[in-house]
Amino acid sequence: MARKTPKPRRPARRPAKKRGGKPRRGFIRRLLPYVFLLFCLGAVVVAAYAVYLDGEVRTQFEGTRWTLPAKVYAAPLELYAGLDLSREQIADRLKRQGYRSASTTDKAGTYEVVGGYLDIHTRPFSFWDGDQADREIRLGFDNTGVASLRALDGNGDLALIRLDPLMIGSIYPTQGEDRILVKLGEVPPMLPAGLITVEDRDFLHHWGVSPKSILRAAVANLRAGHVVQGGSTITQQLVKNFYLNNQQTLVRKAKEALMAILLDAHYSKPEILEAYLNEVYLGQDGGRAIHGFGLASYFYFQKPLEELQPNEIALLVAMVKGPSYYDPRRNPERAKTRRNLVLDMFHDAGFLDDEGWTTAKKADLGVTARSTRSTSQYPAFIDLVRRQLHGQYADEDLTEDGLRIFTTLDPSVQADTEARVNQGLADLERSRGIKADSLQSAAVVTSVEGGRVLALVGGRDAGYAGFNRALDARRPIGSLIKPVVYLTALAEPSKYNVITPLDDSPLAVKLANGDTWRPQNYSKTSHGRAVPLHYALTHSYNLATARLALDVGIPNVIDTLKKLGYTGDPLSVPSLSLGAVDMAPMQVAQIYNTLAGGGYYTPLLAIRDVTTRDGEPLNRYPLQIKRVLDEAPVYLTDWIMQRVARFGTGASMYKVLPDRLNLAGKTGTTDDLRDSWFAGFGANRLAVVWVGRDDNQPAQLTGATGALQLWTRIMSDVGPRGMMNVPPEDVVEVPLRMRFDPRGGASTGDGDLYQYAQSCGGATDVPFIRGYVPDGLSGCDSDIMSENAARDRQQQQQQREQDEGNWLQRIFR
Amino acid sequence: MNMKTRIIALLAVAVLAGCATTQRTSTYPPTGDQGVEQPTPEPRGQSSQLPERNTPEVSRGETAPAGPMPPRSADEASSPAVRSLLGRADTLARNGNMDMAASTLERALDLEPRNPFIYQRLAAVKLAQGQPGQAEAMARKSNSVGGNNPFVRADNWQLIAEARRTAGDSQGASEAASRAENYHRTSLQLSR
Repeated sequence: MARKTPKPRRPARRPAKKRGGKPRRGFIRRLLPYVFLLFCLGAVVVAAYAVYLDGEVRTQFEGTRWTLPAKVYAAPLELYAGLDLSREQIADRLKRQGYRSASTTDKAGTYEVVGGYLDIHTRPFSFWDGDQADREIRLGFDNTGVASLRALDGNGDLALIRLDPLMIGSIYPTQGEDRILVKLGEVPPMLPAGLITVEDRDFLHHWGVSPKSILRAAVANLRAGHVVQGGSTITQQLVKNFYLNNQQTLVRKAKEALMAILLDAHYSKPEILEAYLNEVYLGQDGGRAIHGFGLASYFYFQKPLEELQPNEIALLVAMVKGPSYYDPRRNPERAKTRRNLVLDMFHDAGFLDDEGWTTAKKADLGVTARSTRSTSQYPAFIDLVRRQLHGQYADEDLTEDGLRIFTTLDPSVQADTEARVNQGLADLERSRGIKADSLQSAAVVTSVEGGRVLALVGGRDAGYAGFNRALDARRPIGSLIKPVVYLTALAEPSKYNVITPLDDSPLAVKLANGDTWRPQNYSKTSHGRAVPLHYALTHSYNLATARLALDVGIPNVIDTLKKLGYTGDPLSVPSLSLGAVDMAPMQVAQIYNTLAGGGYYTPLLAIRDVTTRDGEPLNRYPLQIKRVLDEAPVYLTDWIMQRVARFGTGASMYKVLPDRLNLAGKTGTTDDLRDSWFAGFGANRLAVVWVGRDDNQPAQLTGATGALQLWTRIMSDVGPRGMMNVPPEDVVEVPLRMRFDPRGGASTGDGDLYQYAQSCGGATDVPFIRGYVPDGLSGCDSDIMSENAARDRQQQQQQREQDEGNWLQRIFR
Repeated sequence: MNMKTRIIALLAVAVLAGCATTQRTSTYPPTGDQGVEQPTPEPRGQSSQLPERNTPEVSRGETAPAGPMPPRSADEASSPAVRSLLGRADTLARNGNMDMAASTLERALDLEPRNPFIYQRLAAVKLAQGQPGQAEAMARKSNSVGGNNPFVRADNWQLIAEARRTAGDSQGASEAASRAENYHRTSLQLSR
């Protein structure tokens, strides 16, 4: 207002113009051809520019119009009689996937609770193995879960059916656009009609620009004193989104108008409208721009466009005007006011009847909850997917070709695991007086057979795409290595079985660099020279384990570690036997998955299938198994790990988990209580949990007081099945009465550790590798074990007396 | 008979046989004195190949399936959902669509991770896909999760024999074949 400096100058120029305005006649006549020439030249330039623009408009519109990020899907939920999910759990899952509770299930994407039943109208979906039509089904329940499944639609019987999978993310370039293409003929008619009503009433009649609208907008803006209405047609908006940057200049406006006219001349109104539906910007999710109504429908409502209700369509149409200003998650009141205004316009235009209008206005916004700072709800898992795809697909394939990636993520397991990690850490900090928010954690859950990654938690705030601890936090694994040591020993059945007495007396090993390694037990005491092998692992004795590892040879332990699936190259040092090797939780999960799988290695996979955007199969990730170890020693090791869970360092799990479940596991604790680990499994599920601090300061937690507490709660959610304990072909079981007591025990010389107990009662079935059952384990009165113990004591004594250099020789042979 | 026909035939026998119990009994009619009542079955099949050096009298494992009859077919062992997937996988395999058959079997495995019949079919599919190594691994895994079930093991060792033959290991193949024969005999005893 104060700055109107140019104005006073103008009058000063006028005289000059006037001078030019009164030329002599002859001069004008002489000038005319030039003016004409200039005009012609201008016309040619404009025409040439138009031709150029025309080319640009057409190439863009007709070529590959959009790059399409790869879509990532969770594993679909299989519904069948026998599924152990309650009606509430399934209804929760349906809600999470945007299914609508309705009074009839005549439309796909709806469900209804009728009596004790759950009726569902599933969505049609193109899976990697073909199309699945939508079906109307009825689930019956009993107290264990789904008891019956039948079809209500008369299209044939069903034994099982998959729900459409949850879309869990897309792989788009940094600062990229994300979209899901829709076809005009397949969207609810209210959407295009509503868009025209609200954004561009003359759309069907104008030539790309609408002078009438511009005039109307100008008048409205003048009246209001500021911009309240835009005069842009849908075509102009498309041009602006499509071809131009956001600069508000006159030149750009003119270019926009010219391009809009060209576009309108070349293409039909439906084509333009369809492009608009797919191009319009409707929100921002971190670095990801939400383009088009197809993706917006998922982003805000977690369901396909076809299923949107009038209030939801109106909200999206309302947001076109200013997606961030009317963001329903951040500014719900503002969004609702504008939505209702749009609903009024729908009603006035006549495609929403009175009843629909009043219902829609009463409805809440209906947007699903979503963390505002995240780029995806599952950043850690998507990170794993990207890494597993890396090397097979170029970045452009993933961000431009619209590939469909079907993963193994189980959204329920993921949600439960995240919740348990968050709650568990907070509880630990509170109950143990640890500074709030100082602990961190990572967790992996897999299906034992098949090695599918069901859930991956990369940190305390699982929605935050930061440091992925499950994959990248490599920490010493402590006692998690011990089962590998014992497995290595048990693979030599002529030397070791589960009741072999081990020496748990103090140990000093001279290292190659001149230092002496003196490991200690957690309790700082020795447990004598004849601790049964299974007992030493059950209670995680360091001295017995270190001596055992040195006896079998550290290189052999490393060899077993690699067979189990570890790909690193650890240092061959004595301290490896107590876990001086750094691993990420995912690597631990791989190793333990092989233990859980009975010695069959299955690479852990996050991906099942990749198809093109049209559903053509591109890549399967089939189940691969490899027999890496004999089943018998693995069975023996798993048997001991069940004792860890039952009687040893993992026993507190049965405060939460049902006593009847046979689970196996191992605690891990590192020096000064820096890292707390637990890895364990049942017959079908495996979980690995790490708890510690990012700054590597002591977390003040052992494996049992920290990670196990989280593990137990995670496991209680994921439906573990107990281990069956069917011995493999070459394992026999002998009923024995176990009599070891670490306080008295063999060290006092009365080491009658075991009794054969077929008719003695109180016996445990102890597994041995066939052909290697110790001599004489055949009667209640046998004292063979004490003889064995004595013999082994003698041998240990001899070994101890040997020069320490011999230890080294054996280690580094 | 070329390789492919042999594999298809094997698929038909070793795997589809599991589809119906009746089919199995008609394929392998029980022999011996039928009218006579048998004592508790005592399969000794495996013990002949697994020498017991020390204390055979305490190794209960070798006389194991004295209790209830182990499932003889996928139909007996599987839920309706898994049966329907197995049926679909069989159709796909018969039509030569081994990739999809495997994919369908993996779905079944998600439902019943320790069902030996699913692993057994996967083994047959892997064999048909020309992956004898995977076929043997799957068949052995089937043995592993199946416990001491001679019906399952007889077919698995037959598959392993075929896999080894395909891989050019004729000695290993005949070892596997004789194991298959032993389990087959045990299963016949059990069936009576």
